[in-house]
Amino acid sequence: MENQQKAFSLSIADFAIQLHSETLIELEDGYLPFLKNIVNKPDIDIECIAGWPEFSFDETQKVFEAKNETQKFYTIYSINSELGFVIYNQQTNEIQQIALLNEHFNHWKVYSEPIDNIIMPLKYPMGPIIMHYMTLTSDAVMMHASCAFDGEKGRMFSGFSGAGKSTMSMIWSEAGSQIINDDRLIIRKTETGFNVHNTPMYYKDMPKVAPLSAVYLISHSPENKIKKLVGAMAVTRVMAFCIQNNFDKQFIQKRLGIFTEISMQVPVYDLGFVPNQSVVHFIKAHEA
Amino acid sequence: MDIQTLYKMKSKFVAREVGSELIIVPLTGNVAQMSELFTLNETAKFLWESISENASDEDIAKLLTDEFEVDAETARKDVSAFLANMDVLLKK
Repeated sequence: MENQQKAFSLSIADFAIQLHSETLIELEDGYLPFLKNIVNKPDIDIECIAGWPEFSFDETQKVFEAKNETQKFYTIYSINSELGFVIYNQQTNEIQQIALLNEHFNHWKVYSEPIDNIIMPLKYPMGPIIMHYMTLTSDAVMMHASCAFDGEKGRMFSGFSGAGKSTMSMIWSEAGSQIINDDRLIIRKTETGFNVHNTPMYYKDMPKVAPLSAVYLISHSPENKIKKLVGAMAVTRVMAFCIQNNFDKQFIQKRLGIFTEISMQVPVYDLGFVPNQSVVHFIKAHEA
Repeated sequence: MDIQTLYKMKSKFVAREVGSELIIVPLTGNVAQMSELFTLNETAKFLWESISENASDEDIAKLLTDEFEVDAETARKDVSAFLANMDVLLKK
């Protein structure tokens, strides 16, 4: 089966990723369009191990906890120069994976229990966590955002949950734009600017990329209205929607650096919008 | 909040200058606080950067008087307002 092998090579946002195991690995369908042969050394190597490790993490090593009142997502531990992760199943709250990441963030050991002799090392949310730490090895960030590409401009839309990212995607899709993704994106620095890439989701979608031409921080409004943000305000407003684990000063410095660069090179707007085609004309007229 | 209380909290923030402003981001061990980023204007940036060990509110007000050519009373009010604002921000 295409989605069950002992080794896989993936290309996500131009990062070369290799997974390998002595046990059969199963990838979720969303990863399959991102399969790609890697010629050179991978950027990220993921060693997938069946069964649980003999070591355990100490509560005193805990540095970060992603949870809400009802659910645990993951916990991060700092062990010397490495990071340890305990990932919880989103339905049962039981441990789903235990992982170790080396100090260079380019080698993972992912432990998980096999079911019928098959392991799923990237099962959500492990996959996006690996992608997040992958972005820290380069000038890249992962965002909660949607992006529409009209063949010339890549317009990124970000905002709080319910702000209208998916609605905005539908509106631009109807206007003929390609939707890079409507929920999660990786922005990566290029020689000339920044590109926006999609990432594997729970559904199948081809890898896509667009140049980042503008960032819109959106909210619903009775009328279309726009305000350009500059300086520190632009940086903080955009950075608030990136996926981040702020327990380490170096992570924050790196994020602040890249968002300052993005905000200096790409216009950032506060956009109140009416959810129909009028906003497409409004944005294009404002850009002109 | 006084200057020394803020001084003790300063190491738990990462700061970056953008133009004449300063962005400060708190270190956090909790996903719920990750979007808390603060922007300080030129005066607040000067005050934040002037905070040092053993400095009193009065010392900082004096530095503000020298830097921005404001009178002592205005400087004291600015320092008080800055500390009150920081108190609100940091308790969010």
